[in-house]
Amino acid sequence: MAEVRALLDILFKGCVLLIAFLALVPVLHLTLAAIVNGGPVIASAGLKFFTEVPPPPGNRTYGILTSLIGTIELALLSTLVGVPISFMAAVLVVEFPHSRLGRIVRLLSRTLLELPTILIGMFVFTIIVVPLGSPSILAASIALALVMLPYVTTYIETALSSVPRTYREAGLALGMTKARVAFTIVVPIAVRGVVTGILVGLAKAMGETAPLLFTLGRARTSLNVDPLGPGDAIPLLIYDYAQAPYENLREVAWGATLVLITLFLLVYVLARLTIRGVRV
Amino acid sequence: MGGSYALLVEGLKVWYGRRQVLRGISFKLPPSSILAVMGPSGSGKSTLLRAINRLLDYVPDARVEGRVEVFGLDVYRENPYRVRRLVGMVFQTPNPFPHMSIYDNVAVGPRLHGLAKSRDELDRIVEWALKAAMLWDEVKDRLHEPPTKLSGGQQQRLSLARALALKPSILLLDEPTANIDPTNARRLEESIRRVAVEDGVTVVMVTHTPQQALRISDYVAFIYEGKLVEFGRTREVALNPSHKLTAMYFRGEL
Ligand SMILES: Nc1ncnc2c1ncn2[C@@H]1O[C@H](COP(=O)(O)OP(=O)(O)OP(=O)(O)O)[C@@H](O)[C@H]1O
Ligand SMILES: [Mg+2]
Repeated sequence: MAEVRALLDILFKGCVLLIAFLALVPVLHLTLAAIVNGGPVIASAGLKFFTEVPPPPGNRTYGILTSLIGTIELALLSTLVGVPISFMAAVLVVEFPHSRLGRIVRLLSRTLLELPTILIGMFVFTIIVVPLGSPSILAASIALALVMLPYVTTYIETALSSVPRTYREAGLALGMTKARVAFTIVVPIAVRGVVTGILVGLAKAMGETAPLLFTLGRARTSLNVDPLGPGDAIPLLIYDYAQAPYENLREVAWGATLVLITLFLLVYVLARLTIRGVRV
Repeated sequence: MGGSYALLVEGLKVWYGRRQVLRGISFKLPPSSILAVMGPSGSGKSTLLRAINRLLDYVPDARVEGRVEVFGLDVYRENPYRVRRLVGMVFQTPNPFPHMSIYDNVAVGPRLHGLAKSRDELDRIVEWALKAAMLWDEVKDRLHEPPTKLSGGQQQRLSLARALALKPSILLLDEPTANIDPTNARRLEESIRRVAVEDGVTVVMVTHTPQQALRISDYVAFIYEGKLVEFGRTREVALNPSHKLTAMYFRGEL
């Protein structure tokens, strides 16, 4: 009997490992492909890969300066727009679940999560790009903020809900208002989870393509950092160049993929580091 | 009305949704006395405490009827924040705020209600509260460390100090020794006894152990299925319980 159980145990563990491995295969495959195809491109271009604008078709020079700066600017701007809203939304949903506003916000957040990101792009196109007359970094940031909003909100919600009720009661019993309990007790206790949520949003904003299609424009060959002007982003560049009929552009796309994966990894490691040692 | 009593509870009824949990509780408690509230699990003891400081305000489907007075102050007509400033509470699980230092845990109440005009005064309040909770000697050299390093029993005494720092007129304790070791439990009992005698704090304490009630309380209340089946001076009730259930409880048969 004991042997059977031990055997089943091993079998079960084996299955779990196999599934985990299968889930990782696409990620590993893509990372490997990016290193194999993108590595040499970056190596041969050297620092210029980061300081030059993309080459004309057919020309054997490489550079992703505009989209790299663009992705960083977009990530920062969309975080700046999205995080405070997500934060307030999460506090409302978790700490005031029975208030009318809390219920509305929860519904909105859930709906936004289900919405295809291309629709969010079109929505921002009609309410911002059309009135302003042209695509802009600002419009794209707002689209990205809308995309990350429900994710960040959900993450922060989870972090806040994991704070034991007894701390809330202790605060209330001292004569604090619910809002004061939320901001001076619950949020500080959950701070690591909140930061993780923000980083997840950042990663999400960096990787999205669809919301940018109609909102960002393509300022690819000359650098623009003015939020009201058009910009570029790495995912958008990859999207365009990966299907280009020119060998050199496809190579730039591979190099850009490696850069994007590295950026992801950085944010991911940061998020992991903040999760570690979560307080009780 | 009831001005000579520290706590007056009259016809208190509480519902959670459609389910009635307290079915008309009435009693009066003189100042500086200790009441031990006993009763089987689920009888409504915690609900009674939460009705007194209006924590039930935050339970969305809870409904309260009846009257609670704290030193003549009508709790359900008064500003609830003012009520909670006068009525401190200690919970079953030690719950010092993990993100604040030991000092700040005690200072948070006085700061909230503006009780200290200077840093010195705040220091004095914190020291007094920690001494009253018999924790001062153990933490005086590490006031600015987080409370998470303290033992469970020390954390519970810190929770007591946090409540005492507001100089409450009434102190509610919900099975405060249920989750700590006997030595710490004795210390907690001793400090509760002392604040009642020396500082005139009136104490309402839920306890599961008749021995604890006998050790520290002046009065006992016995709640059974939402009704107050026994209320009286501890000695008298223990020697001569008027209700069969109370007798069984004291004999440990319930
Ligand atoms: N928020 C709530 N919503 C609905 N029912 C509740 C709520 N809180 C408590 N109850 C119910 O009310 C009854 C009384 O609960 P209460 O916590 O007051 O009992 P208690 O005497 O403190 O029990 P214990 O000794 O186990 O702590 C229980 O049946 C409990 O399930
Ligand atoms: Mg209870």
